[in-house]
Amino acid sequence: MFERFTKDARDVVRGAVEHCEGAGVRTVDVEHLLLALLDREASRASFALAALGLAERKDSVRTALDETRRRAGLSRAETEALAGLGIDVSEIVSRVEEVHGAGAMSGDGKSGGRWGGRPGFGREAKRILEQSLRMAMARRERFIGDEHILLAMTVTPGPAAEVLADHGVTHASLTRVLGAGGEARAG
Amino acid sequence: MTEATDLAERAGDRDPRVGLRAVAALRRLLEQLEAVQVRSARNQGWSWQEIAAELGVSRQAVHKKHGRQ
Repeated sequence: MFERFTKDARDVVRGAVEHCEGAGVRTVDVEHLLLALLDREASRASFALAALGLAERKDSVRTALDETRRRAGLSRAETEALAGLGIDVSEIVSRVEEVHGAGAMSGDGKSGGRWGGRPGFGREAKRILEQSLRMAMARRERFIGDEHILLAMTVTPGPAAEVLADHGVTHASLTRVLGAGGEARAG
Repeated sequence: MTEATDLAERAGDRDPRVGLRAVAALRRLLEQLEAVQVRSARNQGWSWQEIAAELGVSRQAVHKKHGRQ
């Protein structure tokens, strides 16, 4: 699959690992992929995000992602459901992070990474990469670009999709600015 | 948060969706907490047997779930 990734898409994957390492976390999560996507310049995803007015609102996305981490990667709906049971998720995350370090509660805990080695991709992040292949196929495009990773995020329910939707980035709005697709191209 | 809490509590008794969603969210939270604690125990040199005993599950179950994936 990775041989079909464009340079931009590979840079996102590499950038996600760097964000993960920078946060001192062992498992690459969807949030790291999104942070890496936000760093991209002059790529198809960055053009699409700019067209949706996100160029000046990147910090807002980063802040929202940070809040997601404070909710242990749970969506807002899930956090509210737990609040209904009297469970304060952010309180739990603070206590766990006090003992086990920042980011201990983020990610899905399933990691391909070994102790002391480079971080591995978590289950959800892997799912996004697999989905990006499907996004490219659906658009009849031979190569997987960073825009397909972005598209994959919008169709995979979870905190990243939620944060993106809050900023007006959905599968529908992306398709509108990306066009119908269909041309084969090497990125 | 308080507003969300009130809202959820008010809706809680009647709407099964809210209750079911809470259970699903609790399960995800539980899985995450378990992963953190198991990692921490392994880090401190605990055996799978010891971890399994504390969790009240079989050694095979805990190893299959948290062992080298």
